[in-house]
Amino acid sequence: MVVETWSEQVQTCSLNFDDQGAELKKRRERALEQFEQHGFPGRKHEEWRYTPLSRLAAGPCAPLLESSQEIPFCPDLPGDMLAKVVILNGEFRADLSDLSRLPAAIRIQSLAQLRHSDPDQLASLLDLYWTQDSHPFHDLSDALLDDGVHIEVVEEGAKIDSPIHIMHVFDGQARSGSAHVTGLIQLAAGAQLQLVEEIRSVGQVLGNLRWGVGLDPRSILKRVRAFRPECASIFHGTRVIQQQDSRFEDLFCSSGGDLIRNELHVSHEGTGCHCDLLGAYAGRGKNHLDHHTTIDHKVEDCTSNEIYRGVLSDLARGVFSGMIHVHPDAQRTDAKQSNDTILLSEGAEADTRPRLEIYADDVKCTHGATIGELDEEAIFYLRSRGVSPDEARKILVRAFTSEVFHALEDRQLSDFIADEIQQSINPDGTDRR
Amino acid sequence: MSGKKENSMLEIHGLCASVEGTEILRGIDLEVKAGEVHAIMGPNGSGKSTLANVLAGREEYLVDAGTVQYNGIDLLELSAEERACEGIFLAFQYPVSIPGISNAYFLRSALNAIRRYREESEIDAVDFLELVRSRMDLVGMDEKLLHRAVNDGFSGGEKKRNEILQMAVLDPTLAILDETDSGLDIDALRIVAEGVNKLRKQERAIIVVTHYQRLLDYIVPDRVHVLSEGKIVRSGDKSLALELEKEGYSWLQADDARAGNNA
Repeated sequence: MVVETWSEQVQTCSLNFDDQGAELKKRRERALEQFEQHGFPGRKHEEWRYTPLSRLAAGPCAPLLESSQEIPFCPDLPGDMLAKVVILNGEFRADLSDLSRLPAAIRIQSLAQLRHSDPDQLASLLDLYWTQDSHPFHDLSDALLDDGVHIEVVEEGAKIDSPIHIMHVFDGQARSGSAHVTGLIQLAAGAQLQLVEEIRSVGQVLGNLRWGVGLDPRSILKRVRAFRPECASIFHGTRVIQQQDSRFEDLFCSSGGDLIRNELHVSHEGTGCHCDLLGAYAGRGKNHLDHHTTIDHKVEDCTSNEIYRGVLSDLARGVFSGMIHVHPDAQRTDAKQSNDTILLSEGAEADTRPRLEIYADDVKCTHGATIGELDEEAIFYLRSRGVSPDEARKILVRAFTSEVFHALEDRQLSDFIADEIQQSINPDGTDRR
Repeated sequence: MSGKKENSMLEIHGLCASVEGTEILRGIDLEVKAGEVHAIMGPNGSGKSTLANVLAGREEYLVDAGTVQYNGIDLLELSAEERACEGIFLAFQYPVSIPGISNAYFLRSALNAIRRYREESEIDAVDFLELVRSRMDLVGMDEKLLHRAVNDGFSGGEKKRNEILQMAVLDPTLAILDETDSGLDIDALRIVAEGVNKLRKQERAIIVVTHYQRLLDYIVPDRVHVLSEGKIVRSGDKSLALELEKEGYSWLQADDARAGNNA
């Protein structure tokens, strides 16, 4: 059995770690046990119904090796970044990163450093974000916990104006395999930080990423996640815990990938919180793009705004499952959710599941989901002005995703990403006649 | 039809077209020379808009018979976008709104598509803005409209003026205005008509499709054609339009009755 191969390999790799802290050791052991028991869940598991994990189980588990080849394939993101963190095949690479301009208000260190210097703190942070309830990717992350990044804005009220650039590279050129990254972010009260996270991959790899984000009162985190074109298999999970009057703005952008699963879980623990969860994605070929979001409105007077827009061509498949959970105390919650998908071909498929669970009575929750095609009349309008049908479709795809990009203040960056998404569709996929 | 063939920009002979199996154009003959303005008039359902859309290359309309020569090329062989690149422009009766794309982005994409077709270099953002500004003055349009989404939330007058702006920027050889007057009050109508008049020139022909004579008070045509049941039943100079204004289209039905309803 393939799954046995995985769990054997995970066990072998896991035993190599020499943990100092007892708590960390316990987490690792428990994760190992759980992964051995469950492996990758099949289609019968509700949370994984639409996700073809069998594709991963058949893939290689071995750690990735750095290839001698250059980090390939796509132009750099534009913009003036304050610092750059490069995580290559799961390893924080100080030699490739640039932290020279960091102000004292912010601390960035590798997770490996934290693991050695303060394993108990690391274990308690992990406990805060991820209870070990048998999640295949989190179990892998725990069992193989090695490196990643720990970012702290320690000074209250510190406003960091330019973004921190975090680049993940999964390089499967030397051999195929997997890498597991844990990132932790903590913002002090009133602090403001922007992150531009970029995911690149080449070759047959499984990139397993997770972030734990803690936002103290009145802090603001703005994050852009750019999955660059031709991504392999990536799991990307984020767990956000927001305290009073904090704000979390997330923009997920993906130009396609073999299998991308984006899991986002935000909890509003203090009153007056707000989160924006925005997403734009384009799939082609046999891409599988999977989005699972949960917003826990636990207390009163919090708001959330969620817009995910996808464009699918060829045989691509998109999944959106959006849970909004309004707890009994969360009066005057205002939650908006929408997921819209454009299908450019007969073979493309979208599954969308808005899920609302509302246990408070004075709330405003709106949700909507549409699956449609491009407006033929608009295509003709563009053609009548000289634009080719393919170009017209690309322009309309850009129009469709534009709402998601409005919030991003950096026009240069948003235009760059919007271009990349626009270029990565297959407009021929629309030939229905 | 008379006319010196060597000068004709557009020559339509025996054009028949249908949509979803219903015959709409039943043998149109029309010649338009450079520098001329022709008005196509007629009652609702006579085929005016169909003619405009067939010329622009809308694929829902099937051409069943006839020929259309445009500057010596077989127009019916070309796709809608090729026709636009060859200099044909259709001002839509119902301009389409495209939320999410600014007017400027739309127009620059169109202009650059046409320039690429003509093997000219693409226009950059700075030169483009300069060009558009000069044309906006021509049609009396506010620059704010440039940065709004294409026709999104535009008033009827703004939409029609936007069509004329597109015409001014794309600089077509043959412009077809499909009921550009519909839905406009008298002030908006005057502004749109003045814009069109400024775009009249010796190298350009304009076909104005309209139900009402009113527009022709402002855009004075060289020739007027009356379309009924898919055929041009009368042609004349601008006085024909005034005649129609007085008599309405009822005389057409009387003619049909005499002809014994050969539809």
